[in-house]
Amino acid sequence: MQAIDIEHLSKTYAGGQKAVRDLSFTFGEGEVFGFLGPNGAGKTTTVKLLTGMLTPTSGRCRILGIDPAAQPEQVHALCGVVTEHAQMYDTLTGLENLQFFASLYGTGPEQSLARAREVLQLLRLEDAADQKLATYSSGMRQRLSLARCLMHRPRILFLDEPTAALDPESVQNVNQLIQNLAQSEGITIFLCTHQLRYAQEICTRYGLMSHGRLLALGTLNELRARLFSHSTLRIRASHIQEAPQALKPDADGCFTMPIACEEKVPEVVRQLVQSGAHIYEVEIIRPTLEDIYFSLTKER
Amino acid sequence: MNPAIKAIIRKDFRSITANRKLFSTMLIVPLCLTVLLPSIFILVSHFAPDDPDMQKLLSLLPAGAGAESLQLTVASLILNYILPVFFLMIPIMTSSITAASSFVGEKEKRTLETLLYCPLSVQQIFRAKVLASFLLSMLVSFLSFAAMLLFVELEAYFLMHGLLRPSLHWLLILLLLAPSLSLIAVTLIVRGSAKAKSVEESQQSAVFLILPLILLMVGQFSGALLLSTLFLLGLSVLCLFLAVLLLRKALRRFTYEMLLQNTSPSTQSRH
Repeated sequence: MQAIDIEHLSKTYAGGQKAVRDLSFTFGEGEVFGFLGPNGAGKTTTVKLLTGMLTPTSGRCRILGIDPAAQPEQVHALCGVVTEHAQMYDTLTGLENLQFFASLYGTGPEQSLARAREVLQLLRLEDAADQKLATYSSGMRQRLSLARCLMHRPRILFLDEPTAALDPESVQNVNQLIQNLAQSEGITIFLCTHQLRYAQEICTRYGLMSHGRLLALGTLNELRARLFSHSTLRIRASHIQEAPQALKPDADGCFTMPIACEEKVPEVVRQLVQSGAHIYEVEIIRPTLEDIYFSLTKER
Repeated sequence: MNPAIKAIIRKDFRSITANRKLFSTMLIVPLCLTVLLPSIFILVSHFAPDDPDMQKLLSLLPAGAGAESLQLTVASLILNYILPVFFLMIPIMTSSITAASSFVGEKEKRTLETLLYCPLSVQQIFRAKVLASFLLSMLVSFLSFAAMLLFVELEAYFLMHGLLRPSLHWLLILLLLAPSLSLIAVTLIVRGSAKAKSVEESQQSAVFLILPLILLMVGQFSGALLLSTLFLLGLSVLCLFLAVLLLRKALRRFTYEMLLQNTSPSTQSRH
Protein backbone atom coordinates (compact mmCIF):
# COMPACT_ATOMS: atom_id res chain seq x y z
CA MET A 1 0.00 0.00 0.00
CA GLN A 2 1.20 3.50 -0.78
CA ALA A 3 1.77 5.69 2.27
CA ILE A 4 0.64 8.80 0.42
CA ASP A 5 -1.23 8.85 -2.85
CA ILE A 6 -2.16 12.23 -4.35
CA GLU A 7 -4.06 12.71 -7.61
CA HIS A 8 -4.57 16.11 -9.23
CA LEU A 9 -4.94 17.79 -5.83
CA SER A 10 -5.76 21.51 -5.89
CA LYS A 11 -6.72 24.01 -3.24
CA THR A 12 -8.01 27.51 -3.83
CA TYR A 13 -8.79 29.58 -0.74
CA ALA A 14 -11.99 31.58 -0.37
CA GLY A 15 -10.15 34.76 -1.39
CA GLY A 16 -9.23 33.17 -4.73
CA GLN A 17 -5.61 32.41 -3.82
CA LYS A 18 -4.50 29.20 -5.51
CA ALA A 19 -2.28 27.57 -2.90
CA VAL A 20 -1.91 24.11 -4.46
CA ARG A 21 -2.27 23.42 -8.17
CA ASP A 22 -2.82 19.98 -9.69
CA LEU A 23 -0.47 18.06 -7.42
CA SER A 24 0.06 14.35 -8.18
CA PHE A 25 2.53 11.91 -6.68
CA THR A 26 2.76 8.74 -4.61
CA PHE A 27 5.33 7.19 -2.35
CA GLY A 28 5.62 4.10 -0.19
CA GLU A 29 6.03 3.44 3.52
CA GLY A 30 9.36 3.99 5.24
CA GLU A 31 10.50 6.80 2.94
CA VAL A 32 11.79 10.15 4.15
CA PHE A 33 10.12 12.42 1.63
CA GLY A 34 11.41 15.98 1.46
CA PHE A 35 8.69 18.37 0.36
CA LEU A 36 10.71 21.42 -0.46
CA GLY A 37 10.15 24.98 -1.50
CA PRO A 38 10.27 28.55 -0.25
CA ASN A 39 7.63 30.14 2.00
CA GLY A 40 4.38 30.39 0.07
CA ALA A 41 5.13 27.37 -2.14
CA GLY A 42 2.07 25.47 -0.84
CA LYS A 43 3.81 23.05 1.54
CA THR A 44 1.72 23.77 4.66
CA THR A 45 -1.51 23.79 2.65
CA THR A 46 -0.59 20.36 1.26
CA VAL A 47 0.02 19.02 4.79
CA LYS A 48 -3.37 20.40 5.84
CA LEU A 49 -5.03 18.75 2.85
CA LEU A 50 -3.29 15.44 3.61
CA THR A 51 -4.41 15.55 7.24
CA GLY A 52 -8.00 16.50 6.47
CA MET A 53 -7.77 19.99 7.95
CA LEU A 54 -8.64 21.48 4.58
CA THR A 55 -11.00 20.17 1.92
CA PRO A 56 -9.51 20.01 -1.58
CA THR A 57 -11.05 22.23 -4.23
CA SER A 58 -10.45 19.39 -6.70
CA GLY A 59 -8.58 16.12 -6.90
CA ARG A 60 -8.14 13.57 -4.12
CA CYS A 61 -5.59 12.12 -1.75
CA ARG A 62 -5.25 8.93 0.26
CA ILE A 63 -3.19 8.36 3.41
CA LEU A 64 -2.56 4.63 3.82
CA GLY A 65 -5.67 4.12 1.71
CA ILE A 66 -7.87 6.48 3.75
CA ASP A 67 -9.39 9.67 2.34
CA PRO A 68 -8.55 12.42 4.89
CA ALA A 69 -11.37 14.66 3.66
CA ALA A 70 -13.93 11.93 4.42
CA GLN A 71 -12.37 10.28 7.50
CA PRO A 72 -9.99 12.77 9.13
CA GLU A 73 -10.14 11.11 12.56
CA GLN A 74 -8.89 7.80 11.13
CA VAL A 75 -6.04 9.59 9.38
CA HIS A 76 -5.16 11.44 12.61
CA ALA A 77 -4.99 8.12 14.49
CA LEU A 78 -2.29 6.95 12.06
CA CYS A 79 -0.35 10.19 11.70
CA GLY A 80 1.55 12.68 13.78
CA VAL A 81 1.88 16.33 12.82
CA VAL A 82 4.55 18.78 13.92
CA THR A 83 3.98 22.35 12.79
CA GLU A 84 4.73 25.69 14.39
CA HIS A 85 0.97 26.29 14.62
CA ALA A 86 0.31 23.18 16.71
CA GLN A 87 1.55 24.10 20.19
CA MET A 88 0.95 22.57 23.62
CA TYR A 89 -0.23 23.88 26.97
CA ASP A 90 1.99 26.28 28.90
CA THR A 91 0.21 25.54 32.18
CA LEU A 92 1.04 21.82 32.02
CA THR A 93 4.45 20.21 32.41
CA GLY A 94 6.13 18.44 29.50
CA LEU A 95 5.10 15.07 30.90
CA GLU A 96 1.51 16.16 31.57
CA ASN A 97 1.21 17.53 28.05
CA LEU A 98 2.32 14.21 26.58
CA GLN A 99 -0.03 12.27 28.84
CA PHE A 100 -2.93 14.56 27.98
CA PHE A 101 -2.46 14.10 24.24
CA ALA A 102 -1.93 10.36 24.69
CA SER A 103 -5.28 10.18 26.49
CA LEU A 104 -6.93 11.69 23.41
CA TYR A 105 -5.59 8.71 21.47
CA GLY A 106 -7.19 6.37 23.99
CA THR A 107 -3.98 5.44 25.83
CA GLY A 108 -4.40 4.63 29.53
CA PRO A 109 -2.51 6.63 32.20
CA GLU A 110 0.07 3.93 33.04
CA GLN A 111 0.88 3.13 29.43
CA SER A 112 1.09 6.79 28.54
CA LEU A 113 3.44 7.50 31.45
CA ALA A 114 5.84 4.76 30.36
CA ARG A 115 5.71 5.84 26.72
CA ALA A 116 6.12 9.52 27.67
CA ARG A 117 9.29 8.73 29.65
CA GLU A 118 10.58 6.76 26.67
CA VAL A 119 10.03 9.51 24.09
CA LEU A 120 11.27 12.24 26.43
CA GLN A 121 14.51 10.31 26.74
CA LEU A 122 14.63 9.87 22.97
CA LEU A 123 14.35 13.64 22.54
CA ARG A 124 16.73 14.35 25.44
CA LEU A 125 14.05 16.09 27.47
CA GLU A 126 13.92 13.77 30.49
CA ASP A 127 15.39 16.44 32.79
CA ALA A 128 12.66 18.92 31.80
CA ALA A 129 9.81 16.40 32.08
CA ASP A 130 8.35 17.96 35.22
CA GLN A 131 8.88 21.58 34.22
CA LYS A 132 5.94 23.68 33.06
CA LEU A 133 5.98 24.19 29.29
CA ALA A 134 6.06 27.96 29.89
CA THR A 135 9.68 27.57 31.03
CA TYR A 136 10.78 25.66 27.89
CA SER A 137 12.95 27.31 25.24
CA SER A 138 11.66 27.28 21.65
CA GLY A 139 14.01 24.41 20.81
CA MET A 140 12.72 22.36 23.73
CA ARG A 141 9.14 23.09 22.68
CA GLN A 142 9.94 21.91 19.18
CA ARG A 143 11.41 18.67 20.53
CA LEU A 144 8.42 18.17 22.82
CA SER A 145 6.11 18.55 19.80
CA LEU A 146 8.05 15.78 18.13
CA ALA A 147 7.75 13.72 21.31
CA ARG A 148 3.97 14.30 21.29
CA CYS A 149 3.75 12.97 17.75
CA LEU A 150 5.65 9.82 18.66
CA MET A 151 3.47 9.02 21.69
CA HIS A 152 0.88 7.03 19.72
CA ARG A 153 3.45 5.31 17.46
CA PRO A 154 2.24 6.85 14.19
CA ARG A 155 2.84 5.28 10.79
CA ILE A 156 3.31 8.63 9.06
CA LEU A 157 4.88 11.77 10.46
CA PHE A 158 4.22 15.16 8.88
CA LEU A 159 7.01 17.48 9.95
CA ASP A 160 6.68 21.11 8.93
CA GLU A 161 10.05 22.83 9.48
CA PRO A 162 10.88 20.55 12.45
CA THR A 163 14.34 21.98 13.05
CA ALA A 164 13.50 25.67 12.60
CA ALA A 165 14.13 26.61 16.24
CA LEU A 166 16.84 24.06 17.06
CA ASP A 167 20.52 24.55 17.83
CA PRO A 168 23.01 22.57 15.69
CA GLU A 169 23.37 19.78 18.26
CA SER A 170 19.61 19.30 18.49
CA VAL A 171 19.34 19.39 14.68
CA GLN A 172 21.82 16.53 14.52
CA ASN A 173 19.92 14.62 17.20
CA VAL A 174 16.57 15.14 15.45
CA ASN A 175 18.06 14.16 12.06
CA GLN A 176 19.37 10.95 13.57
CA LEU A 177 16.00 10.29 15.16
CA ILE A 178 14.12 10.87 11.89
CA GLN A 179 16.42 8.51 10.02
CA ASN A 180 16.12 5.87 12.75
CA LEU A 181 12.33 6.13 12.76
CA ALA A 182 12.24 5.55 9.02
CA GLN A 183 14.84 2.80 8.92
CA SER A 184 14.13 0.83 12.11
CA GLU A 185 10.43 1.41 12.64
CA GLY A 186 9.34 1.89 9.03
CA ILE A 187 7.67 5.23 9.78
CA THR A 188 7.07 7.33 6.69
CA ILE A 189 8.30 10.90 7.06
CA PHE A 190 6.78 13.77 5.09
CA LEU A 191 9.24 16.57 5.76
CA CYS A 192 8.39 20.12 4.70
CA THR A 193 11.24 22.58 4.71
CA HIS A 194 12.74 25.47 2.84
CA GLN A 195 16.22 24.50 4.07
CA LEU A 196 17.41 22.51 1.08
CA ARG A 197 20.80 21.64 2.56
CA TYR A 198 19.16 20.19 5.64
CA ALA A 199 16.74 18.13 3.52
CA GLN A 200 19.59 16.76 1.41
CA GLU A 201 21.13 15.26 4.57
CA ILE A 202 18.18 13.09 5.52
CA CYS A 203 15.64 12.61 2.73
CA THR A 204 15.42 9.66 0.38
CA ARG A 205 13.09 11.31 -2.15
CA TYR A 206 12.19 14.88 -2.93
CA GLY A 207 9.29 16.90 -4.25
CA LEU A 208 10.23 20.46 -5.17
CA MET A 209 7.44 23.03 -5.04
CA SER A 210 7.04 26.57 -6.26
CA HIS A 211 3.89 28.70 -6.30
CA GLY A 212 1.68 25.71 -5.52
CA ARG A 213 3.07 23.56 -8.34
CA LEU A 214 5.28 20.50 -8.14
CA LEU A 215 8.40 21.32 -10.18
CA ALA A 216 10.13 17.96 -9.91
CA LEU A 217 9.96 14.65 -8.09
CA GLY A 218 12.52 11.93 -7.50
CA THR A 219 15.65 10.83 -5.67
CA LEU A 220 18.65 13.15 -5.66
CA ASN A 221 20.38 11.14 -8.38
CA GLU A 222 17.24 11.08 -10.52
CA LEU A 223 16.88 14.85 -10.19
CA ARG A 224 20.56 15.38 -11.00
CA ALA A 225 20.35 13.14 -14.04
CA ARG A 226 17.26 14.94 -15.23
CA LEU A 227 18.65 18.45 -14.93
CA PHE A 228 22.42 18.24 -15.19
CA SER A 229 24.48 16.48 -17.85
CA HIS A 230 27.70 16.73 -15.84
CA SER A 231 29.34 17.15 -12.42
CA THR A 232 32.47 19.21 -11.74
CA LEU A 233 35.88 17.66 -11.12
CA ARG A 234 37.98 19.85 -8.85
CA ILE A 235 41.68 19.24 -8.43
CA ARG A 236 44.16 20.95 -6.15
CA ALA A 237 47.58 20.46 -7.77
CA SER A 238 50.85 22.16 -8.67
CA HIS A 239 53.54 21.77 -11.33
CA ILE A 240 50.99 21.09 -14.02
CA GLN A 241 52.79 20.84 -17.36
CA GLU A 242 50.28 19.08 -19.54
CA ALA A 243 46.57 18.96 -18.75
CA PRO A 244 43.27 18.19 -20.48
CA GLN A 245 42.01 21.19 -22.40
CA ALA A 246 38.86 21.43 -20.30
CA LEU A 247 40.77 21.81 -17.02
CA LYS A 248 40.65 25.51 -16.07
CA PRO A 249 42.01 27.31 -13.02
CA ASP A 250 39.37 28.64 -10.62
CA ALA A 251 39.37 31.55 -8.19
CA ASP A 252 40.65 29.42 -5.26
CA GLY A 253 43.82 28.36 -7.06
CA CYS A 254 42.43 24.94 -7.93
CA PHE A 255 41.53 23.51 -11.32
CA THR A 256 38.06 22.44 -12.41
CA MET A 257 36.53 20.70 -15.38
CA PRO A 258 33.09 19.29 -16.19
CA ILE A 259 32.82 15.49 -16.25
CA ALA A 260 29.90 13.39 -17.42
CA CYS A 261 30.70 10.38 -15.21
CA GLU A 262 33.14 9.45 -12.46
CA GLU A 263 34.89 6.90 -14.69
CA LYS A 264 36.63 9.87 -16.30
CA VAL A 265 38.43 10.78 -13.04
CA PRO A 266 41.24 8.14 -13.07
CA GLU A 267 42.02 9.02 -16.66
CA VAL A 268 42.42 12.75 -15.89
CA VAL A 269 44.44 12.06 -12.74
CA ARG A 270 46.70 9.59 -14.55
CA GLN A 271 47.38 12.12 -17.30
CA LEU A 272 48.28 14.80 -14.78
CA VAL A 273 50.57 12.52 -12.74
CA GLN A 274 52.34 11.29 -15.83
CA SER A 275 53.03 14.89 -16.84
CA GLY A 276 54.72 15.49 -13.48
CA ALA A 277 51.95 17.35 -11.65
CA HIS A 278 51.79 17.17 -7.85
CA ILE A 279 48.21 16.31 -6.85
CA TYR A 280 47.01 17.16 -3.33
CA GLU A 281 43.24 16.79 -3.59
CA VAL A 282 40.68 15.43 -6.06
CA GLU A 283 36.96 16.00 -5.59
CA ILE A 284 33.81 15.52 -7.63
CA ILE A 285 31.36 18.35 -6.98
CA ARG A 286 27.87 17.10 -7.76
CA PRO A 287 24.87 19.44 -8.14
CA THR A 288 23.19 20.00 -4.78
CA LEU A 289 19.46 20.28 -4.14
CA GLU A 290 19.92 24.03 -4.16
CA ASP A 291 21.49 23.86 -7.64
CA ILE A 292 18.63 21.64 -8.76
CA TYR A 293 15.99 23.95 -7.30
CA PHE A 294 17.47 27.11 -8.80
CA SER A 295 17.91 25.40 -12.12
CA LEU A 296 14.24 24.37 -12.05
CA THR A 297 12.99 27.83 -11.11
CA LYS A 298 15.19 29.38 -13.82
CA GLU A 299 13.71 26.94 -16.34
CA ARG A 300 10.25 28.27 -15.59
CA MET B 1 -18.69 9.46 28.18
CA ASN B 2 -15.75 9.07 25.77
CA PRO B 3 -12.50 9.12 27.84
CA ALA B 4 -10.97 11.60 25.38
CA ILE B 5 -13.85 14.03 25.95
CA LYS B 6 -13.43 13.55 29.71
CA ALA B 7 -9.70 14.31 29.36
CA ILE B 8 -10.44 17.58 27.51
CA ILE B 9 -12.96 18.61 30.17
CA ARG B 10 -10.48 17.83 32.98
CA LYS B 11 -7.74 19.76 31.19
CA ASP B 12 -10.02 22.78 30.62
CA PHE B 13 -11.06 22.82 34.28
CA ARG B 14 -7.43 22.74 35.28
CA SER B 15 -6.37 25.43 32.79
CA ILE B 16 -9.03 27.83 34.03
CA THR B 17 -8.45 27.23 37.72
CA ALA B 18 -4.67 27.45 37.23
CA ASN B 19 -5.04 30.91 35.69
CA ARG B 20 -5.30 32.97 38.88
CA LYS B 21 -6.30 36.20 37.14
CA LEU B 22 -9.07 34.53 35.20
CA PHE B 23 -10.27 32.46 38.12
CA SER B 24 -10.36 35.38 40.54
CA THR B 25 -12.37 37.45 38.02
CA MET B 26 -14.72 34.52 37.75
CA LEU B 27 -15.19 34.38 41.51
CA ILE B 28 -15.19 38.06 42.51
CA VAL B 29 -18.31 39.08 40.57
CA PRO B 30 -20.39 36.09 41.76
CA LEU B 31 -19.27 36.76 45.33
CA CYS B 32 -20.33 40.42 45.02
CA LEU B 33 -23.67 39.40 43.57
CA THR B 34 -24.39 36.62 46.04
CA VAL B 35 -22.73 37.77 49.25
CA LEU B 36 -22.13 41.52 49.23
CA LEU B 37 -25.30 42.66 47.48
CA PRO B 38 -27.70 40.43 49.49
CA SER B 39 -25.99 41.49 52.71
CA ILE B 40 -26.55 45.15 51.84
CA PHE B 41 -30.21 44.44 51.04
CA ILE B 42 -30.71 42.50 54.28
CA LEU B 43 -29.01 45.17 56.36
CA VAL B 44 -31.08 47.91 54.73
CA SER B 45 -34.26 45.96 55.32
CA HIS B 46 -33.20 45.37 58.93
CA PHE B 47 -32.45 48.97 59.70
CA ALA B 48 -35.29 50.58 57.74
CA PRO B 49 -38.33 48.33 58.10
CA ASP B 50 -40.76 50.99 59.22
CA ASP B 51 -40.42 53.10 56.15
CA PRO B 52 -44.01 53.94 55.01
CA ASP B 53 -43.08 53.18 51.37
CA MET B 54 -41.98 49.70 52.42
CA GLN B 55 -45.32 49.13 54.14
CA LYS B 56 -47.10 50.23 50.99
CA LEU B 57 -44.99 47.83 48.94
CA LEU B 58 -45.74 44.94 51.27
CA SER B 59 -49.46 45.53 51.05
CA LEU B 60 -49.22 45.14 47.25
CA LEU B 61 -47.57 41.74 47.43
CA PRO B 62 -49.31 38.36 47.20
CA ALA B 63 -50.70 37.10 50.51
CA GLY B 64 -48.29 34.15 50.57
CA ALA B 65 -45.33 36.47 50.73
CA GLY B 66 -45.90 37.29 54.39
CA ALA B 67 -43.63 35.75 57.07
CA GLU B 68 -43.60 35.73 60.86
CA SER B 69 -42.08 39.20 61.16
CA LEU B 70 -42.04 42.25 58.96
CA GLN B 71 -38.27 42.17 58.67
CA LEU B 72 -38.28 38.53 57.64
CA THR B 73 -41.04 39.24 55.11
CA VAL B 74 -38.90 41.93 53.50
CA ALA B 75 -35.82 39.69 53.59
CA SER B 76 -37.82 36.86 52.02
CA LEU B 77 -39.00 39.22 49.30
CA ILE B 78 -35.42 40.18 48.60
CA LEU B 79 -34.31 36.56 48.51
CA ASN B 80 -37.10 35.29 46.29
CA TYR B 81 -37.86 38.26 44.02
CA ILE B 82 -34.83 40.53 43.78
CA LEU B 83 -31.82 38.25 44.12
CA PRO B 84 -32.81 35.75 41.38
CA VAL B 85 -32.41 38.42 38.71
CA PHE B 86 -28.95 39.32 39.98
CA PHE B 87 -28.06 35.65 40.37
CA LEU B 88 -28.84 34.95 36.71
CA MET B 89 -25.95 37.15 35.69
CA ILE B 90 -23.56 34.57 37.16
CA PRO B 91 -24.09 31.71 34.69
CA ILE B 92 -23.94 34.16 31.78
CA MET B 93 -20.78 35.81 33.01
CA THR B 94 -18.92 32.65 34.01
CA SER B 95 -19.91 30.85 30.79
CA SER B 96 -18.61 33.78 28.77
CA ILE B 97 -15.28 33.62 30.56
CA THR B 98 -14.89 29.85 30.47
CA ALA B 99 -16.03 29.42 26.86
CA ALA B 100 -13.88 32.27 25.60
CA SER B 101 -10.90 30.91 27.46
CA SER B 102 -11.37 27.29 26.52
CA PHE B 103 -12.13 27.82 22.83
CA VAL B 104 -10.82 31.17 21.61
CA GLY B 105 -8.01 30.96 24.17
CA GLU B 106 -6.89 27.72 22.54
CA LYS B 107 -6.86 29.45 19.16
CA GLU B 108 -4.93 32.38 20.55
CA LYS B 109 -2.31 30.12 22.15
CA ARG B 110 -2.12 27.93 19.04
CA THR B 111 -3.17 24.81 20.90
CA LEU B 112 -6.47 24.33 19.08
CA GLU B 113 -4.72 23.05 15.95
CA THR B 114 -2.94 20.41 18.07
CA LEU B 115 -6.31 19.27 19.41
CA LEU B 116 -7.71 19.14 15.89
CA TYR B 117 -4.90 16.78 14.81
CA CYS B 118 -6.07 14.23 17.41
CA PRO B 119 -8.40 11.40 16.39
CA LEU B 120 -11.54 13.23 17.48
CA SER B 121 -14.17 14.74 15.23
CA VAL B 122 -14.72 18.51 15.30
CA GLN B 123 -18.13 17.79 16.77
CA GLN B 124 -16.59 15.76 19.63
CA ILE B 125 -14.12 18.54 20.39
CA PHE B 126 -16.93 21.09 20.21
CA ARG B 127 -19.06 19.01 22.60
CA ALA B 128 -16.18 18.59 25.04
CA LYS B 129 -15.46 22.30 25.04
CA VAL B 130 -19.11 23.30 25.46
CA LEU B 131 -19.52 20.75 28.24
CA ALA B 132 -16.39 21.93 30.06
CA SER B 133 -17.48 25.58 29.96
CA PHE B 134 -21.03 24.69 30.89
CA LEU B 135 -20.06 22.47 33.82
CA LEU B 136 -17.61 24.98 35.21
CA SER B 137 -20.17 27.75 34.91
CA MET B 138 -22.76 25.59 36.67
CA LEU B 139 -20.29 24.72 39.40
CA VAL B 140 -19.59 28.41 40.05
CA SER B 141 -23.33 29.14 39.95
CA PHE B 142 -24.19 26.40 42.46
CA LEU B 143 -21.36 27.40 44.75
CA SER B 144 -22.48 31.01 44.54
CA PHE B 145 -26.00 29.98 45.41
CA ALA B 146 -24.76 27.97 48.40
CA ALA B 147 -22.65 30.94 49.57
CA MET B 148 -25.58 33.30 49.12
CA LEU B 149 -27.96 31.06 51.05
CA LEU B 150 -25.45 30.60 53.85
CA PHE B 151 -24.83 34.32 54.27
CA VAL B 152 -28.45 35.36 53.90
CA GLU B 153 -29.65 32.74 56.40
CA LEU B 154 -26.88 33.64 58.87
CA GLU B 155 -27.72 37.32 58.59
CA ALA B 156 -31.44 36.60 58.95
CA TYR B 157 -30.82 34.36 61.94
CA PHE B 158 -28.59 36.78 63.81
CA LEU B 159 -30.34 40.01 62.87
CA MET B 160 -33.96 38.91 62.57
CA HIS B 161 -33.98 35.77 64.70
CA GLY B 162 -35.54 33.59 62.03
CA LEU B 163 -34.71 31.72 58.85
CA LEU B 164 -35.75 32.52 55.31
CA ARG B 165 -37.51 30.01 53.09
CA PRO B 166 -36.28 29.97 49.48
CA SER B 167 -39.25 29.69 47.13
CA LEU B 168 -39.82 27.29 44.27
CA HIS B 169 -38.37 30.03 42.01
CA TRP B 170 -34.90 29.02 43.06
CA LEU B 171 -35.40 25.41 42.06
CA LEU B 172 -36.53 26.50 38.60
CA ILE B 173 -33.65 28.96 38.34
CA LEU B 174 -30.99 26.51 39.45
CA LEU B 175 -32.17 23.52 37.49
CA LEU B 176 -33.62 25.08 34.36
CA LEU B 177 -33.10 28.77 33.75
CA ALA B 178 -29.44 29.12 34.83
CA PRO B 179 -28.31 26.03 32.86
CA SER B 180 -30.23 27.21 29.77
CA LEU B 181 -28.76 30.72 29.97
CA SER B 182 -25.31 29.27 30.52
CA LEU B 183 -25.69 26.98 27.49
CA ILE B 184 -26.87 29.90 25.32
CA ALA B 185 -23.90 32.00 26.42
CA VAL B 186 -21.41 29.16 25.79
CA THR B 187 -22.87 28.44 22.35
CA LEU B 188 -22.84 32.10 21.35
CA ILE B 189 -19.20 32.47 22.37
CA VAL B 190 -18.14 29.26 20.66
CA ARG B 191 -20.11 30.17 17.52
CA GLY B 192 -18.44 33.54 17.39
CA SER B 193 -15.05 32.01 18.11
CA ALA B 194 -14.49 30.99 14.48
CA LYS B 195 -14.32 34.67 13.57
CA ALA B 196 -13.02 36.14 16.82
CA LYS B 197 -9.29 36.68 17.01
CA SER B 198 -9.05 37.30 20.74
CA VAL B 199 -10.71 36.17 23.95
CA GLU B 200 -11.98 39.70 24.62
CA GLU B 201 -13.55 39.98 21.18
CA SER B 202 -15.41 36.72 21.59
CA GLN B 203 -16.73 37.65 25.03
CA GLN B 204 -18.56 40.62 23.51
CA SER B 205 -20.98 38.32 21.71
CA ALA B 206 -22.54 37.22 25.01
CA VAL B 207 -22.85 40.73 26.40
CA PHE B 208 -26.23 41.29 24.83
CA LEU B 209 -27.59 38.38 26.88
CA ILE B 210 -27.32 40.66 29.88
CA LEU B 211 -29.81 43.09 28.28
CA PRO B 212 -32.97 40.96 28.82
CA LEU B 213 -31.78 40.48 32.40
CA ILE B 214 -31.54 44.22 32.90
CA LEU B 215 -35.10 44.55 31.54
CA LEU B 216 -36.19 41.87 33.98
CA MET B 217 -34.47 43.77 36.75
CA VAL B 218 -36.15 47.05 35.77
CA GLY B 219 -39.47 45.20 35.62
CA GLN B 220 -38.96 43.86 39.11
CA PHE B 221 -37.91 47.15 40.64
CA SER B 222 -40.59 49.21 38.89
CA GLY B 223 -43.27 46.71 39.74
CA ALA B 224 -44.21 46.23 36.09
CA LEU B 225 -43.30 42.55 36.31
CA LEU B 226 -43.28 40.20 39.23
CA LEU B 227 -41.37 36.92 39.10
CA SER B 228 -43.92 34.16 39.29
CA THR B 229 -43.38 30.42 39.07
CA LEU B 230 -45.31 30.27 35.82
CA PHE B 231 -43.34 33.15 34.33
CA LEU B 232 -40.02 31.56 35.33
CA LEU B 233 -41.11 28.18 33.99
CA GLY B 234 -42.11 29.72 30.66
CA LEU B 235 -38.87 31.67 30.44
CA SER B 236 -36.82 28.59 31.32
CA VAL B 237 -38.51 26.45 28.66
CA LEU B 238 -38.04 29.20 26.09
CA CYS B 239 -34.34 29.56 26.96
CA LEU B 240 -33.81 25.81 26.96
CA PHE B 241 -35.42 25.54 23.52
CA LEU B 242 -33.25 28.41 22.27
CA ALA B 243 -30.10 26.84 23.79
CA VAL B 244 -30.71 23.46 22.14
CA LEU B 245 -31.54 25.12 18.82
CA LEU B 246 -28.39 27.26 18.86
CA LEU B 247 -26.23 24.34 19.95
CA ARG B 248 -27.46 22.02 17.20
CA LYS B 249 -27.06 24.72 14.57
CA ALA B 250 -23.54 25.55 15.72
CA LEU B 251 -22.60 21.87 15.85
CA ARG B 252 -23.54 21.41 12.20
CA ARG B 253 -21.59 24.50 11.10
CA PHE B 254 -18.20 23.56 12.49
CA THR B 255 -15.47 22.19 10.25
CA TYR B 256 -11.69 21.99 10.67
CA GLU B 257 -11.27 24.54 7.88
CA MET B 258 -13.60 27.04 9.48
CA LEU B 259 -11.85 26.73 12.85
CA LEU B 260 -8.42 27.15 11.34
CA GLN B 261 -9.41 30.21 9.31
CA ASN B 262 -8.22 32.66 11.93
CA THR B 263 -5.63 30.52 13.64
CA SER B 264 -2.87 31.19 11.16
CA PRO B 265 -3.98 33.87 8.74
CA SER B 266 -0.48 34.77 7.72
CA THR B 267 0.36 31.18 7.00
CA GLN B 268 -2.74 30.53 5.02
CA SER B 269 -2.12 33.50 2.82
CA ARG B 270 1.58 32.72 2.44
CA HIS B 271 1.50 28.97 1.93
